[in-house]
Amino acid sequence: MKSFFITFRSITHAQRCERVFTAEGIKCHMRRTPRWMEERGCGYGIEAKLTELNQGLEILRENEIPFRKSYLFHPDGVVEELRYDLS
Amino acid sequence: MIYLDNGATSFPKPECVCNAMAEAMQTCANPGRGSHEAARAGAEMLYDCREAAGELFRCLPEQVVFTMNCTQGLNMALRTLVKPGTKVVISGFEHNAVTRTLYGLGARVLVAGHRLFDQEDTLRSFYKALQQGARVAVFTHVSNVFGYILPIEEMARACIRRGIPFVIDAAQSAGALPIDFRTLGADFIAMPGHKGLLGPMGTGILLCKRLPKPLIMGGTGSESARQQMPDFLPDRAEAGTANVPGIAGLGAGIRYVMEKTPAAIGIHEQKTAAKAVRILKDLGMEVFSGPHQLGTVSFRCGLDCETAALALAQEDIAVRAGLHCAPLAHKSAGTLDTGTVRLSFGHDASVEHLQALQETVQKRLPPVM
Repeated sequence: MKSFFITFRSITHAQRCERVFTAEGIKCHMRRTPRWMEERGCGYGIEAKLTELNQGLEILRENEIPFRKSYLFHPDGVVEELRYDLS
Repeated sequence: MIYLDNGATSFPKPECVCNAMAEAMQTCANPGRGSHEAARAGAEMLYDCREAAGELFRCLPEQVVFTMNCTQGLNMALRTLVKPGTKVVISGFEHNAVTRTLYGLGARVLVAGHRLFDQEDTLRSFYKALQQGARVAVFTHVSNVFGYILPIEEMARACIRRGIPFVIDAAQSAGALPIDFRTLGADFIAMPGHKGLLGPMGTGILLCKRLPKPLIMGGTGSESARQQMPDFLPDRAEAGTANVPGIAGLGAGIRYVMEKTPAAIGIHEQKTAAKAVRILKDLGMEVFSGPHQLGTVSFRCGLDCETAALALAQEDIAVRAGLHCAPLAHKSAGTLDTGTVRLSFGHDASVEHLQALQETVQKRLPPVM
């Protein structure tokens, strides 16, 4: 199953995202950002099903939760950075 | 013990606060530093408290910065806004946490308003100081010595109209009066966690509208490859390991306050203080009282204030005497040479407290000459 992963600079932003996603019915979980994804060093990210991506991005914008990048996790282990304009 | 020293710290703490701290000690590791369950539990504990504080004071969770007390928060705020020579207006009722910091920073301080319980005087003097070119304003919400509630909404509006950044010291009001960070528009509001919010000592909160200048630098668990401190909240202001058990207790205290509501707590404290004023006056004490007074009452009697406080302590009544780390407030009230005895009531103030006070003051403290 494909999933998406959004990275955050602060654990607090990731936690707010997790709480808001959960309140909006998006199942998700928080974990540390893989080292290679974040050139600035430690960070946290939120992973959820790919089908929830558009709603998730909309929620982030509505709640003004700042985030860094977005990735697509393929079932075969391939990771692809999503090149949407996330600003 | 009859505890009437809530202006120093609330005591005893609600059971839920003690339980939350014990639970954190047993379940939480260093937050933001790992993926394991205990680190995650620590992070959740912190976030729960941030979220509760954000709800209580109407701000985003990331605008809630944890400090070790109100003084640390005030230092961070003032060091962000004030440089040597900056003209700063303060009220005549500020604590040393403000005045010593400004003195240390080399600020040019304008003191506005000395008349106790006179909001019109406070406002008139404050407006005048703004016109005299103040570039930053700092004011307490409630005097820690006299319980005087300053007209902070009007003072805030005046600062906003003139584009003056301002800081509010909510040391005595957080948890006992409603505080709306968004509406007030303050750049910073500093508060202790261990007074009206009923958390443990060693906790505090700085609400931030803008990025503060960090007081200390170090690890934050974020952007670790960079040598600059993060330029986002709350990480920028929270280097080093957090006081997780303390913040767990603070979170429980905030939720306790939210259930009772600060407005209800404040009214209860005000009513109790008004009754104490009547009791003390009837017993011949010189009492400092007036309109706009929260749950704190200062008085003088026929003994030196420290001797009087000791006499009350010997009867198991806990109060505080002296200058209360606020010589400016005492200077404003004309009590700098003598100090005062201060009673500060808490959310749990009761009729029994007042009865004990009446009996003991009558027994041990002579009236003023």
